[in-house]
Amino acid sequence: MFSIRGIRRATTVVAAATLMLGLSGSRAWAQAAAEPPDPNPGALTITGNIDFLNQYMFRGIRQNSTGMAIWPSFDLGIQTYSGEGGFKSATINIGTWNSLHTGDTGQDGPTGKLWYESDFYATLGLGFGGGFSFGTTYTAYTSPNSTFSTVKEIMFKLGVDDSAQLGKFSMKPYAIFAFEFDTEAGTGQADAGENAGKYLELGIAPGYTGYSRAAIAFPIKLGMSMGDYYELDGEDNKFGYFSIGGIVTVPLGGTGKFGAWNLHFGAEYQKLGDTTAFYNSDDDGDPQHNQFIGSVGFGFSY
Amino acid sequence: MGGPGGRARRLAAAACVVGGLMVGTAGAQSGGDPNPGAMTLTTTMDASNAYLFRGIPQDDTGLILWPAADLSVALRSGGGTLRSITVGVGTWNSLHTGVTGTDGPSGKLWYESDFSASAGLGFGGGVTFATAYTAYTSPNGAFATVKELSMKVGAPLYGVSPYALVAFELEGQADGGVVEGRYLEIGAAPSLTMAGAVVAFPVKLGLSLEGYYEGLEGDEQFGFFSVGGNITVPLTSEQSRFGRWNAHGGADFVRLGDSNALRLGDNTKVIISAGVGFSY
Repeated sequence: MFSIRGIRRATTVVAAATLMLGLSGSRAWAQAAAEPPDPNPGALTITGNIDFLNQYMFRGIRQNSTGMAIWPSFDLGIQTYSGEGGFKSATINIGTWNSLHTGDTGQDGPTGKLWYESDFYATLGLGFGGGFSFGTTYTAYTSPNSTFSTVKEIMFKLGVDDSAQLGKFSMKPYAIFAFEFDTEAGTGQADAGENAGKYLELGIAPGYTGYSRAAIAFPIKLGMSMGDYYELDGEDNKFGYFSIGGIVTVPLGGTGKFGAWNLHFGAEYQKLGDTTAFYNSDDDGDPQHNQFIGSVGFGFSY
Repeated sequence: MGGPGGRARRLAAAACVVGGLMVGTAGAQSGGDPNPGAMTLTTTMDASNAYLFRGIPQDDTGLILWPAADLSVALRSGGGTLRSITVGVGTWNSLHTGVTGTDGPSGKLWYESDFSASAGLGFGGGVTFATAYTAYTSPNGAFATVKELSMKVGAPLYGVSPYALVAFELEGQADGGVVEGRYLEIGAAPSLTMAGAVVAFPVKLGLSLEGYYEGLEGDEQFGFFSVGGNITVPLTSEQSRFGRWNAHGGADFVRLGDSNALRLGDNTKVIISAGVGFSY
């Protein structure tokens, strides 16, 4: 289980949700008369994605060396409160995110099983005035093909959606704090280290939704250990990885009775720290500090 | 891996009963439909004392939990001979605290995770035909993956909703036998509505067409017979913006064939389950 989850959340979810909303917003004015009625005016929102990647990195930690990774995911959002004033919304999300590997940690590996990772998560998200949001997420990262031991984590995310202030542009800065718990030495930890890790991620996702046929974003993030998150030979390396990427999201038609569908492409470069480079060693055992990731996928929101 | 107490109950609760509740409460709805689009999400969470998959014992120790979700898409809905076309994907899971789960060799709770993709046709007169591909997998490694293609035809005859299901194992085997099996299930689920609740009495017979219930003396035709009763109580009296919620519970009496009885150590079993579900 290991950073593209970072990319995944920043690539796929941003692509499928935020960027699509941006596109919808930019076209709503012109299409008001032609838009079909909202197919889902209730309080539940369903989001699904399937992505195909050459490489799966979880917060900079490599998860496969060969083959392809396939990421089917599904999310159910329940808007429990929506109002005016300083406290604007409360939302509960539950979902599953999965990684299927054709290579050495999946079908071509010792287990011969494709299903490398299955995560369950539940999030309570609070929305405030000025675009500020605060989310608390519990995630259980499990491995159906038993490649890694289950990792349990509590994550807090503080973010700002500044698209209302910047129009078709946005920066969307955020900070993530994640804490592993219920661990033992070598068990229940992303780095398989001695102690439960504490993780910090800082990022922005500059984007533009001014084009009618696509939305673009350039997520940038920095992943660091606040304590024992990137352990290697008894040393906790603070710098985990730095990543910069680009995402293009193309809507497939408008929002109809089947929801809003999109096709999205992404590319990412990661600069790795000592621990993550060690896990990214080449065939000769030499740590590699650079990694490139390409992805393509479909998504829908209903 | 889904059976008299498992998948069949889930489908009954998720489709027939919820469908019945939807019809039953339609006239009382005061608000607008929160989901007039083409997608429907159905989820259930049930707890049970035992899990038999089509009569094949899986576990009757500890607590068994069945979380499930289905997303269906109505591609067509209207009049004429072919009235509806629906496709769907779903997952059904079985979590065990007993000897095949957390108390077992793996120490892991997640005994089974199934993925299914289905397509269904609805005809005039309520006749339905559905076909499904299902992959039954075991995250805790308790059994090898079974892949199956099934077809089901049903009709609302005489208010008892009879159906027939034929399933073909493509890879792997539910009975852990020598050859991939072919399975036939014939059943019905008469139901009635009382004071807003739906009471159903599902009856089913599971048979091997070939190699599905392999035992010590070769393939046995009779797999199981079950009769049960369940009740579904709506928790939302009208179509709320959070979907239609229900609480349901029931019991099944299962009479097993020889090979299944040998696995269980008894030729009968009573399965009790209860849970909550919603459809949106």
